[in-house]
Formats: sequence, C-alpha cells, structure tokens
Amino acid sequence: MPVITDNIASLGYATPELVLAGFFLFILLADLVFTRNRGQMACTLAILGLAMTLLVTLRLYPAGERLLFAKMMAIDPFALFFKIFFVGSTAVIVLLSPATAYIPRTRQGEYYAFLLAITLGMSLLASAADLVMIVLALEMVSVTSYLLAGFMKEQAASAEAALKYAIYGAVATGTMVYGMSLLYGITGTTNLYEMPQAIARGGAAPLALFVAVLLVLVGFGYKIAAVPFHMWAPDVYEGAPTPVTALLSVGPKAAGFAVLIRFFYAALAVPAGPGRWNPVADIDWPLLVAVISAVTMTVGNLIAINQSNLKRLLAYSAIAHAGYILMGFVLLNGQGLYAMLFYLIVYAFMNLGAFLVVIALAGPLRSEELKDYAGLASRTAFPAVAMAVFLFSLTGIPPLAGFVGKFYLFAALIEAGRAWLWLAVVGVLNSVISLYYYARIVKAMFLEKGPSGRLTVASAHQVLIAALLIPTVLLGIYWAPVARFTDYSLRLLGPLAR
Amino acid sequence: MDLATYVLIALFAPLAGATVQIFLGRRLPRHGDWLCVGVLFVSFVASIPTFNAVWANPAFKLQILSEWLTLGSFGIPLGLQVDGLTGIMLTVVSFIAAFIHLYSVGYMHGDPRYSRYFAYLNFFTFSMLGLVLADNFFLIYVFWELVGLSSYLLIGFWFERPAAANAGKKAFIVNRVGDVGFFVGILLLWTQLGTFRFEEVFKGIAAGQMAGPLLTVTGLCVFLGAVGKSAQFPLHVWLPDAMEGPTPVSALIHAATMVAAGVYMVGRVYPVFTPDAFVVIAYVAGITAFFAGTIALTQFDIKRVIAYSTLSQLGYMMLGLATGGYVAGLFHLVTHAFFKALMFLAAGSVIHALHTQDLREMGGLRAKMPVTFWTMMAGSLALAGVPPFSGFFSKDAIIGATLGFVMAHPQHLLLALFAVGGALLTGLYAFRLMFLAFTGAPRDREKHHHAHESPPVMTVPLVVLAVFAVGAGWGGWFERLVRPPVELPHGPAGAHTLALALSLLAAGLGILLAYWTYVVGKISAGRVADRYRPVYTLLFNKYYVDELYAAGVVRPFLALTRGCAAFDLGVIDGFVNWCGRFTRGVSRVQGWIDFRIVDGAVNLVGNAIRAWGAVLRLVQTGVVQNYILVLLGGVLVILLLKVL
Repeated sequence: MPVITDNIASLGYATPELVLAGFFLFILLADLVFTRNRGQMACTLAILGLAMTLLVTLRLYPAGERLLFAKMMAIDPFALFFKIFFVGSTAVIVLLSPATAYIPRTRQGEYYAFLLAITLGMSLLASAADLVMIVLALEMVSVTSYLLAGFMKEQAASAEAALKYAIYGAVATGTMVYGMSLLYGITGTTNLYEMPQAIARGGAAPLALFVAVLLVLVGFGYKIAAVPFHMWAPDVYEGAPTPVTALLSVGPKAAGFAVLIRFFYAALAVPAGPGRWNPVADIDWPLLVAVISAVTMTVGNLIAINQSNLKRLLAYSAIAHAGYILMGFVLLNGQGLYAMLFYLIVYAFMNLGAFLVVIALAGPLRSEELKDYAGLASRTAFPAVAMAVFLFSLTGIPPLAGFVGKFYLFAALIEAGRAWLWLAVVGVLNSVISLYYYARIVKAMFLEKGPSGRLTVASAHQVLIAALLIPTVLLGIYWAPVARFTDYSLRLLGPLAR
Repeated sequence: MDLATYVLIALFAPLAGATVQIFLGRRLPRHGDWLCVGVLFVSFVASIPTFNAVWANPAFKLQILSEWLTLGSFGIPLGLQVDGLTGIMLTVVSFIAAFIHLYSVGYMHGDPRYSRYFAYLNFFTFSMLGLVLADNFFLIYVFWELVGLSSYLLIGFWFERPAAANAGKKAFIVNRVGDVGFFVGILLLWTQLGTFRFEEVFKGIAAGQMAGPLLTVTGLCVFLGAVGKSAQFPLHVWLPDAMEGPTPVSALIHAATMVAAGVYMVGRVYPVFTPDAFVVIAYVAGITAFFAGTIALTQFDIKRVIAYSTLSQLGYMMLGLATGGYVAGLFHLVTHAFFKALMFLAAGSVIHALHTQDLREMGGLRAKMPVTFWTMMAGSLALAGVPPFSGFFSKDAIIGATLGFVMAHPQHLLLALFAVGGALLTGLYAFRLMFLAFTGAPRDREKHHHAHESPPVMTVPLVVLAVFAVGAGWGGWFERLVRPPVELPHGPAGAHTLALALSLLAAGLGILLAYWTYVVGKISAGRVADRYRPVYTLLFNKYYVDELYAAGVVRPFLALTRGCAAFDLGVIDGFVNWCGRFTRGVSRVQGWIDFRIVDGAVNLVGNAIRAWGAVLRLVQTGVVQNYILVLLGGVLVILLLKVL
C-alpha cells in the first residue's frame, strides 16, 4: 500500500472533503452577505456542492489503495463507496427540505451548511485509518448531529432530543476514547494498519485487549445504534426534525458501519487466504458482535410492535436493521462484507423512502401518528402505494430490493457453515416479527376507514418518492450493476490480503 | 451505437411502451395507441441492424452477458444472444407485431378498455422478443411464462363474456401442464450439467456428460413445454378456444408470438433431443398435422377453421424439425407467421364488416371487399403450398425431410402418410373457406348488404403482409442464415423430387376437390356428411378430445377435490372435534389449572411477543441517566460473561 506522507500531495486525493469544506464555508458566508431568498440560495448551493463532490469523487476512480496525510486517512474503493453513499443520502435530504415546514426560515442557511458539514464528517470517518482521526471524524459527525437534532430549538421535544443526544454521545465517545487509550497503551501505535503486527509482537494479555476492544465498540455501537447502546435513538429520532431523523437513520449509521468494518478488519483481524480473515490474538470479537446483532434486531423489532408514532416506529425499525446488517460483519469473509455493503445501499433507498412518505404527509396530514394514516390510500393513492412498497421491502418480501439484500445476508451466514446458523434463524424470525408492524401500517392505509377528503402532496415530494421507489423495485429484479460495484468496493483491505 | 444497444432497444421498447401505457394510457391523447404502435415500429427498426449483421455474416454471433444472481460459485446468468435464427425471429416478430398493432387501431376502435389492450399487446410482444433473445434455459423459462401470462390476459380480454374468461383460463391451465414438463426438463439438465447456458449445455451433451434414456426423457420433458405452447396433440385444446380473444390477438398468437415460441424453442435447444426423442416428437407432430386438418374441414366458424389450420401447420413445423429438416421446420415457422397473420387479419376484416363469424352466413364477398379477398387469397395459396407462394417452399422442404426420414426408416411409413395426407387436407379446407366466404351468392342478404371494405388502417397491414406471404419463400435467404446446430443425416437422393411431386399433387387435388364441392357443386358436402355420418360427427366434435379431458381429467379431478373436501369435513374435522371433546373431557377431569395452561399455550403464540415488546418498552423511560446506565450496564454484563 503506497503511503503518501507529503501533505500537499495528499490533498489531491482528498478532493471530496475539500469541496465539501469549501461549500460549507461558502454557504455560511453567503448566508451572511445576502439578505433575500437566503434559504433558496443555500439549498441551491448545497445541491451544487454535493454535485461537485460527487464529480470529484468519481474522478478518483479507478482508486488504488493509498494512505494519505502521514497514514491518517485511507483512500480506497471502500472509502469512495461510502463517500458516494453519503453524498447521495444527503442529497435526498437537501432536496426534500424546501417543501417542508420544519426548518425556520431565518436559519435555513445554517441548516444546509450543517448538512454539508455532517457529510464532510462522514466522509472523513469512512477514510479514517488512525485512532486519532477516527475520534476527530466521529466527533465531527456527532456534534453536527446534535446541532441538527435540536434545530427546532423552540420546540421542547427538539431541544430535549438534542440535549439527551449530546449527553449520551459524550459518555459513549468518552468510553470509546478510553478504550482507544488502552489500545494505544497495549500496542504502542494509533495506526490501524500497524496494529496487527504490534499485537502479534507485544503479547498483551487477551483480557486487557478484550476490554479495550469492548470499550471502543461502545463508541461505534452508539453510532450505529446497536443494543445496548441504542437508547438515545428513539428519543432523538422522534424529537429531531423529521428530515434530520431520516438522515440520522441512514448516513451516520452507515458511517458507523464504515469505521466499524475498517477498524475491526484492519486492526483486529489477519488475512487467512483470499477473502477470509481470522481474529487477531484470538479475541473472540465475532461472537461478541453476533450476540449484539441478535439482541439488537430482537429488541428493535419487539419494541417497534407497540409504537403508535410512525417516526418512533421507524426509529426502532432502523435499530433492528442495524442488527441485520451486523450479521454480515461476524463472518470474517468477503461474502459477509459484500452482503453488508449491498444491504446498506438497499436500506438507504427503502428507509429514506419510508421517511420521505412520512415527511411528505406530515404537511397535509398534520400528524405523524399511525392512527391518522387510516384510510390514507383513498385520500392520496401514490404515497400510500409507495409507502406499502417501502415497508414490504423493509420486511424483505420479493421481488423488492429488501429481499435481495436480506437474501445475501442470510445466504452468507448459511454458506459460512453451521456455526452461524443460529444467527440466521434469529434473523429470519425477526423478519417475521417485523412484518407484523410494517403490515399494520399498510393495513391502516388500505383497509381501515378514515376521514375523507383528498390530500395533496407537494409535487417535489412526489418526484422524490418516485425516484426512491423505482430503485427499490428495480433492484429487486435486476441488480447486477450494483452487485458489481459493491464487489469492486470491497477493496479496503488490499494491504492486509498481502 | 453498437449492435448490442440496438438489440436492447428492440427488446425494451415494447416493455417501456407497456409500462407507460398501463399507468398513463387513459390520460394520453387517443388513449396512447400511437405510443404503443410507435414503440413497436421503433423495435422493428432497431432490429434491422441485427438482421443486416446476420445477413452480412451468417456465422455472426453476439452475446450480451450479465449475471443476475451470484452466490459464491453458484450463479444464474442473464444473457442475450443473437445469431442467424435470432436475427430472423427478432425482425419477423417485431415486424408482424408492428402491423398487428397498427391493424388493432382500427379493429379495437371504441373498446372501453382500448388503452389497456395496447398495454397488454406491447407486453406480449416484449415477452416474445425476450424469449427469442434468451441465451439460457433460465431466462427462456422466465419469458416463456411471461408469454403465457400475457396470452391469458389477452385471450380473456373481454372477460365479461364467460366464454372468453374460460378460454383464457383454459389456455393458461393447459399451458401449465406443458410448462411443468419444461421446468422438470430444465432442472434435470441443471442437475446433470450444472449450467443453464445453452452453449454449455450443448457442449456437455456433445462431450457425453449426459446421454441415453435420461437425456431422452429430459428432451421429452422439454418438448412437453413446446407441446403446450405450440398446441401439439394432446395439449392442443386451448388454441381453438383462444379464438374468444380479439381477432388481432389471435393473429398475434398464431403468427408471431405464442405458438411460435414452442417451435422456436425446440429449434433453439435442438441438440438436447436424442434420436429416440425425435421419433416421439415426429409422431406427436404427424398426428397433430393430420388430425387438425380433418377437424378444420367440418368447422363453420371462420376463425376456428384458421385455428385448426394453425394446429396442422404447427404439426408440420415440428415434423420437419423431428425428421432432420431443421431448416425446413423453422423456415415454415417464418413463412407461416406471414401468411397466417395475414389470414387472421383478413378474417378479422370480414368479421368487422359482417359482424358474424359463421361461414354459412357469408358468401359473395369478393366484389364487396376486394382488398380483403385478394390478400386472403394470397394467404390461402401460401397455406395450401402452391408455388411460387411462400408456404410452398417451406412445406415442400418439410415433406421432403419426412420422406427422406421414412425412406431411411421404413417402419415409420405412417409419418409420410400424415405429411402428404395433411397437404391434401390443407388445400381442401383452405379453399373451402375461400369459396364459402367470398364466392357464390350471399347467403345472408341483410348482412351482405351492410358489408363494406375495411378502413385503410386495416387494409394497409393486409397488403403489406400479403407481399411477404407471396414472396417470403424466394431466394433461399433462410437457408443462408440458419444453420443446423448439429450434423444432420442426409436423406436418400430421390426424396426431394418425390416430395415435390407428391406435395404439388396433394395440394392441387385438395383445391380441386374444394372447387368441385363448393363452386361447381359436383360433390355435395351435405350428402358426403350424411353418408359418413359417424365420421362427420367425430370430426365435427373435434374427436371428442375436450369431452375426453372432461371425463378423464377434469371430472375425476373435481371428484377428487370433492372427496378431499368430504374427507376433510368428515374425517379430519371429526378427528379434530373428537380431539376437542377429548381435551375438554381431560381438562375437566384435571381441573382448572390444566385448563388454564392449555388456554395459555394457545394465546402465548400471539401475545408473548407483544407482551415482551411492552415490557421492553418500559425501559425506555425518557431519562437520559437511565440510558447511560443501560449502556454501562451492558458493558459490565458483557465483561462479566467474558470473565466467567
């Protein structure tokens, strides 16, 4: 793996981050200078910034595997995959925001600027190759998340959400940093890619290493909202402005998975043949994560059953999905990682889609409660049908994208042998449970009688819903190009495979 | 644009049309007919470069490969291929379908579900084009089923009429029987050879990885699929009933899409069939060719006559394929597509003018509908196999192949009789129809009076198709493009000369008989029918095949279901009731504790999950200190578990 120590030369590979940072500052500045149509301008600039970021990211292909900035950041197909992912999901949020009434008019400039900032943080996190860089990037994501969650600070729920989020996040991050300090003490290095050798040399006590890893896991678990580090999620998801909730349930969660994969597969695993790894120094972190995965999906689904608020319901569903995705993580093989990345793509479409419908209906319906969705299909057909598709896809029913995603996850588990069969069984049972509460929404929309009167959904939202609906259906039928891209993006561990 | 792009445009244009039309059709101007007709012409134009490429180089082969599902070493391919045969079929199918679409604009005018009709028609064409392009068994099966689905939708298009709804169901169910065979065949191939790709399957068979009785059975399973789709005896029963659909749909089914699928498939996977399998296929085909011809003689519904003629011609195609006439069989598929589409559309034109399908109410239409008459005449001459019309070339080649086969294997003499006898019957029933409908005095003056030539949107397709019905057999272009995938045995030298003589004689005799009977009147059809009353009744009732199915399959099946229901009601329910009483008795004896456990176990399934949810929910207190407690508690618990 080529290492670029020269900072100036490194900048050439950090163009997505540079563009994002530039536009972040530019929007803040423009918001101060101009006085009219500030929100509209900020939104346009944000779109422009994201488009340019996408462009410069694509220009980095075909990506080799490089370490930049004195081994602080890695740039490889894996990192680029997530950068594109973040730009895409943020773009959806930016596009849906103007037609909503969540964001106070006077603070729209800041809102869009923060959306770019969080994207910047996530991009850095996906590239972070050093413990220090991980902490910094994670904090950048977290702090921006707190700000965005409390963006409607005049409302008690939003302010409360932000405060809880900040307190919880501080504890989780603190725990993680403590674990990292232990890890540094054990290995003598902060660089992920140097850690396996250091551990092999050092002969550290396995228990000490386990404690350090467990404490680090707290920080990552908090980002992906895995049980028992999930408890902030429902309150924050419900209190935050819904577009922010949608973003939090996709973007930072994916960023958490990115850093989780890089940290564990680069620092705590050694390659054992092509596409296979062994845990370093026999710390049984796969079993630890497997248990967390099983508990996460079970708890998420069980609590979701009794929710009456759609945002909260989707929050728990998002927790359950983190559990599903973790299933691929424990296998220590390429197929598991492949299934995770593929599921993340699919999850982004269907989860953003479901949130988008809630957001689009929040205006005309003035509610995000399940009971107000009764008879929705007869009042506005297209969003109801789209919602049904998104929910069935989240359940994993063919021929929708969610089915293919889950199929890959379960197939990877079953192919890996009998050791992980129990996890697959838990996963399947959970899918069945999840059908109950997803189908409850569909039942309310299509079978129950509700108030009459047509609802009109903003045309911008209709277009966006369609834009998310089409891939959700299409990827359930033909997904070869995405599969190829995902496969290509698995190259984060080239140096390890050697 | 490269060729692959053109192929993809040709394939997906109809799908795009169908998608837009099904959602937005009613809101489009003219209910979207221009869109659906347009995409078909786009599809046709896009298929021309393919044809040119194949024409320039008959050995041309293009593959568009993709994976659909990969899982470790297991993968299902998703590939399209273009070779000589595909190039022809792609062009012919899109061409004929385009003109049938155009014709439908006139024929379906004013139908309440006009827009939906075009969506279905687009989808039908898309399915068939996909079937033609597929390069593996998996994909061909997918499109195979899509063809079945769209035919069901279109045959039962006027589902308010019970006959149409039933015909749709019948087509679908009868086809399923064949499809199951096809499916089993594909699975057998896959388990033995581990691949779905045609190329690899053929390679495996050529290398002897699969042979003997197993391969014969596999081939026959695959053929069963074609028996269903291409309406071979004994699964032919759906095709005549399919006349209940709109006439352009019949034209599409008979010419370009549905029934062609089976013959095309047999041609495509030709190396799968062993010589033994081909003997079975030949007999099925010969029986179909001959007996369908005899039935056609006695029918009075103009569309049914043509339908039975299709059955008979399909038999010919299969017979050609099975007796080593690979090129001849497929050539007949193409020429037949032209003249049969033409005949159906012409018949539709007559029906459109007279509002009846009964030949007995027609007559004397020649002067009233000259374009329809002359174009249909061209179609009938081609059907009867009169030179130099297209059907002559292909049918002559098939009879030649059959005679060659019989000369090499004299024990199969019956096949030759089927083939030559069928040719005679073809001339006879084709011209019986022509003379009854177009010549003589009108038998229903009222209807004749109101008859008029159809509008240009209907007659233009007739003329265009007639040109091809006449000329599609010239120039040996087909032999140039289509090559057998395996080495075929050459029949004895004399076979082709003999075939030429016999087929000309048979066709001429057939037409002459029709002339004597229906124009000159030397032979009275009624008297012949009276004389051979039992035979006539047998033919008129189509050999009672439908009744046989009703008695042998449908009724026993219904009886079985009734039996099962009775068993369920009497024995199973009785047992369940007995169990209930028993349980109640026991519980009563054991007292309320047991009663409660039984009750609880039943409710547990549903309620436990919900209850757990409710309990877990209590943990979410809203107090952030508690959350952090859970976090640190979780860490501690994990640590404790690890240490212990």
